[in-house]
Amino acid sequence: MLIAPATFDRLVRARELLTTTDEHVAAIARTVRLSQFHMIRAFTALFGATPHELRTRARLDRAKQLLHAGTAVTDVCMEVGFSSLGSFSALFTRWEGASPRTFQRPAPENHGCLGMLAHLPATAILEKRAAR
Amino acid sequence: MLMIKLTSVMVEDQTKALAFYTDVLGFEKMMDFPVGEYRWITVAAPGHPDVHLALEPNVHGIEFQRAMFANSIPIAAFESDDLDADYKRLGALGVAFTKPPTDAGPIKLAVLADTVGNLIQLYQPTR
Repeated sequence: MLIAPATFDRLVRARELLTTTDEHVAAIARTVRLSQFHMIRAFTALFGATPHELRTRARLDRAKQLLHAGTAVTDVCMEVGFSSLGSFSALFTRWEGASPRTFQRPAPENHGCLGMLAHLPATAILEKRAAR
Repeated sequence: MLMIKLTSVMVEDQTKALAFYTDVLGFEKMMDFPVGEYRWITVAAPGHPDVHLALEPNVHGIEFQRAMFANSIPIAAFESDDLDADYKRLGALGVAFTKPPTDAGPIKLAVLADTVGNLIQLYQPTR
């Protein structure tokens, strides 16, 4: 699929609106002046997720940040835009493989992959290769 | 002598990225093992196992990655030996291109979206 420059800019704007507002997908399509059908199709090809999936991903990523920071699960639920603790917990568990409460633990120190690799024992890669 | 044997792109989702870079783009998985809460994943072009591309989590680079994308700037460039054929093949797989094969002096180039937050330039030398 070839995405024209003007459409590309509109899709980038749509992604921003999806993650910074609670507007419905149909309303966002109107705001960026694309048909809803065309927007969803091109959006999915460009970002690898439907608008709804991308919004859910963004909310859960924000929820994970807050949980790492020690925010109470009920507060996280409200903060990221869920009205029911049950639906938040069920969705979180389905996407993340662990309940919000299980997930909530001190954040491990993170140096990025290249940095983390530097902290591995010198033999780690050779051992991994040998194991294959 | 220093050599470039490893470079990386930041990705929004390592699992999704690995699938796209192997199943769609056609690279081969070279390394994949857990490091902390993420994974060390590298891919390489078939027949070129000495040059790896790492698919790094974008946790510390989201703003940079978003800005590059929003400004239509590719984050990496891969050489193609037949750009028109690759454009056709990848298009049939549902890949979104923001630029079709276009003559640009000594190269022909195209730009695609890798579905994990980046634009990637493909190029083919024409001389």
